[in-house]
Amino acid sequence: MRKSRSKRKSNIHLQQPTINPRDFQFMITKVAVSQICKSVGFRRSRVSALETLTLVATKYLETLVKSAASFSNAASRTQSNILDLTNALHDMSLQVGFMGASTLYDHNNNCLLKSSVLESLSDFVSSANEIPFAKPIERAKERESEEVNAVPGSFQERGGHIPEWLPRFPDVGGTNENCDKRVYGEQLWENSSSVLGCQIDGFEEKRCGSNNVGKLPKGRSRIKFRVNNGGGTRVGLNGISCNNVFGQCKDEEEAEPVAVCEKSVKSEEKHILVYKRRKKRC
Amino acid sequence: MNHNPQSSDGKHDDDSALSDFLASLMDYAPTIPDELVEHYLAKSGFQCPDVRLIRLVAVATQKFVAEVASDALQHCKARQAAVVKDKREKQQKDKRLILTMDDLQSHCASIFIGVWK
Repeated sequence: MRKSRSKRKSNIHLQQPTINPRDFQFMITKVAVSQICKSVGFRRSRVSALETLTLVATKYLETLVKSAASFSNAASRTQSNILDLTNALHDMSLQVGFMGASTLYDHNNNCLLKSSVLESLSDFVSSANEIPFAKPIERAKERESEEVNAVPGSFQERGGHIPEWLPRFPDVGGTNENCDKRVYGEQLWENSSSVLGCQIDGFEEKRCGSNNVGKLPKGRSRIKFRVNNGGGTRVGLNGISCNNVFGQCKDEEEAEPVAVCEKSVKSEEKHILVYKRRKKRC
Repeated sequence: MNHNPQSSDGKHDDDSALSDFLASLMDYAPTIPDELVEHYLAKSGFQCPDVRLIRLVAVATQKFVAEVASDALQHCKARQAAVVKDKREKQQKDKRLILTMDDLQSHCASIFIGVWK
């Protein structure tokens, strides 16, 4: 039975649900797993069996990678290398078994790079037919452009969690100075001249009250305080409520301090938080 | 004394074999795409700038799935061979290789993965 074209189109629009990110990656993994099953020899599959196999593959990948990460962390490293990955592969393959599993931790004869697991993977790559993924996946390229344009001490370098109007971090001496001291002799960090120098300078600046103290690299946004009633009129100092208001407040009309915190994310947009004080009703 | 040059030659051979394998990984396109593997690596806390290790993880997962699928295929064929009665059914057998939960369950249980319907 064939439906008319108009009915087909309406059905297509109705059947397009919003896809979660988890579902999206699961569907991609399912496509890859179904390609592997087809290469092995299967022609059809039950949906439940395919989804189960996809879930098993996902869990295997995550477990392998987590154990490799934990091996590297145990060796005081943040970046994993092939040795960590080999150890993780050994852990995952112990249930099935592989050549040399009994002498894994033999100090005399063990060499991780000669592992039989790696050899079997090498044989698999050389013998199995290459099955590229069915469709290309677009890669996000936003991060690369951000790293290239980073200016020292700017938003990109310090990260978005630090506002731009805060002063820069103090310079902790030159890096060459610290390197030389490591080569020629150990020295405690708190005793280094750069740290002592910074402390003294900081105290002197506070006492002298020099003109440079308090000057920020970038101007901070204006802050106003308003004491106001719920309906827009002014009242006493009881209760505080917070509303989101888009608009401007004129200084001439206000006799009491106004609490308005302006935070400009972009130059075009201004979100104003108005803290209002309401009268308590006895 | 005599073992040392042999062991060093052996190490060189192993290193060269491993480096050849890692180089061949760059030419081999695994079925699981790099972007998907990178997503799971980031999710699990695996940090490595080397693309070859990402390919190695993808190949290891592909090999695992292929082993499970091939074992399930063996189970499926063994089950159908026991049921065959006529010649007609033999011809249709190749078209009816369907991956089912029963075949998966039997293999996953052997490698200590619990699968329930």
